[in-house]
Amino acid sequence: MNGFFTDTTLCIGCKACEVACKQWNQLPADGFNWTGHSYDNTVALSSTTWRHVTFVEHSRPADNTGKDVNWLMLSDVCKHCTHAGCMEACPTGAIIRNEFGDVYVQPDICNGCGYCVPSCPFGVIARNEESGLAAKCTLCYDRQKDGIEPACAKACPTDSILFGNLDELRERAKQRVGTLHERGETSAYLYGVDEETSVGDLNAFFLLTDRPSVYNLPERPKLPQENVLPGFIASLLAASFLTLTTIFSFKR
Amino acid sequence: MLDTMKSASAQSESTAGQSKQWPGQASTYYGLPLIKGAEWAWQIVLYFFLGGLAGGAYFMAVLAHLLRLDHARELIRAGRYLSFVCILASPIFLIWDLGRPERFFRMLRILKLRSVMSIGSWSISVFGLFCGLSTAHQMANDGFLQGLPRLARLLRALPIKLIEVPGAMFGLLVASYTGVLLAATAVPIWARAKHILGPLFLTSGLSTALASLSCLLACGRRKQPMQEPLERAEMVTLTTELGLISALVPILGSLGKPLFNGRTGWLLKGGVIGGGLLCPLLTRLTYKLTQRSTPRAVTVGTSLLVLLGGLVLRYVWIEAGRTSANDPEATHVYNTLE
Repeated sequence: MNGFFTDTTLCIGCKACEVACKQWNQLPADGFNWTGHSYDNTVALSSTTWRHVTFVEHSRPADNTGKDVNWLMLSDVCKHCTHAGCMEACPTGAIIRNEFGDVYVQPDICNGCGYCVPSCPFGVIARNEESGLAAKCTLCYDRQKDGIEPACAKACPTDSILFGNLDELRERAKQRVGTLHERGETSAYLYGVDEETSVGDLNAFFLLTDRPSVYNLPERPKLPQENVLPGFIASLLAASFLTLTTIFSFKR
Repeated sequence: MLDTMKSASAQSESTAGQSKQWPGQASTYYGLPLIKGAEWAWQIVLYFFLGGLAGGAYFMAVLAHLLRLDHARELIRAGRYLSFVCILASPIFLIWDLGRPERFFRMLRILKLRSVMSIGSWSISVFGLFCGLSTAHQMANDGFLQGLPRLARLLRALPIKLIEVPGAMFGLLVASYTGVLLAATAVPIWARAKHILGPLFLTSGLSTALASLSCLLACGRRKQPMQEPLERAEMVTLTTELGLISALVPILGSLGKPLFNGRTGWLLKGGVIGGGLLCPLLTRLTYKLTQRSTPRAVTVGTSLLVLLGGLVLRYVWIEAGRTSANDPEATHVYNTLE
């Protein structure tokens, strides 16, 4: 199984990943928006933006390092979850798990119902207005089939984005966290590894140095399909109750 | 604090799997939304409403038929025709809203029980089939197929009760699945109401069906003896609906703001609770308690109020979902619950 390890402590916010992704996948530009949110003018993942660099500037605690501000940068991407809300929601079977273990939307099958969009706990997938289809990061399925790494990982100048076998990446990531802890960066941790949430581990996981909500990530993501059975059981109870009351109303 | 963090970091567990350990309030990213809401427009509101009506109307017709009620022939006929018209119209609006309408049949490539949209597509198809058969049988009985005598004979001979029982069950499924559809998403207000949405949409489907049937029967030439049982059933259903909506207040808590506040709140309180539920209920109760028979105009009027209330109910839930999805704090609150 292949995936991404995105180490935010190495990210320099150059956005080469965004550009490479757009270029390789022939995705259109999203317009020119000065948002005023630090250097983030992309704002969010969408059907035409599959890598999005977030920028957070906030003050550091006074810890005698002489640094006043933390500038956090993270290259956000589809998480390719172990239990993917979008995939479970898809009624046409367009969204599948491919041979590399990644979540892939087959564009020739999707009929644009849009149900995957509110089913993603991370707000990744979106429906394209022009094509009518849902689209998201493919983890460069086509490049993987040719034995080369995804465009964003290739373009990243600091190897903040690493692509490879998930077991190897997780091993490497844990070692990296250990190294950071030894250096005094005790806030470093892995997001999407050894998780006990209903979403499970993320095939695109991250090394973060602050709580997930700071990076616009959910702190305890839930798999929406866990609500399916409770919802139908409640409906069955209601149906039984209303059947009885209607029979009594009709007969009396 | 740095010392405790250092000693904690010496254990390998703290390098990962942090999902349960964040104390205090979550932050947001410039107040930008965390998840994405459903981009459903007015077509989906109509599709929800008509689906509920279809399932409810068919269910009423089946009950009346299976219970062998006297003077129920008009009710059964009205129920079958009404449900058929609605179940034809409902998917038209669903298909209209698709990004690629011409590919709508792709919904029937697979059956995925974890996808409420898949369960729903199949339920509508199967229910449509049962409903169509019942309607064809009714048409044959009503003499509409004079030009095709063999077909009419075949249809009249159908084991209609064998068709009606599963048909009614699928009808109830069609009326309730739209609520579960909303609940099985990441939208905080929808997901939090997972025990209420299915029952609420089902109850609304039944109450709108009862109101429509009562209206149709009242507009007929003769006085209908089924009018009173219909009104009784409607009162019970409306009361149940009120109860379910009231249960939302403690269940949703702070997550309920998009539904109860602002313009949506007014539509809910005025359009759904006041106009669609309380007003018809009190009107019917008044006539019942004073033992007077309800004049036709009042029946038609209260029925229209109930129908409008059902439509507004679907609308306010879609609107509230939009607001809730765009609120990152709501996402964090919802994720920390239970």
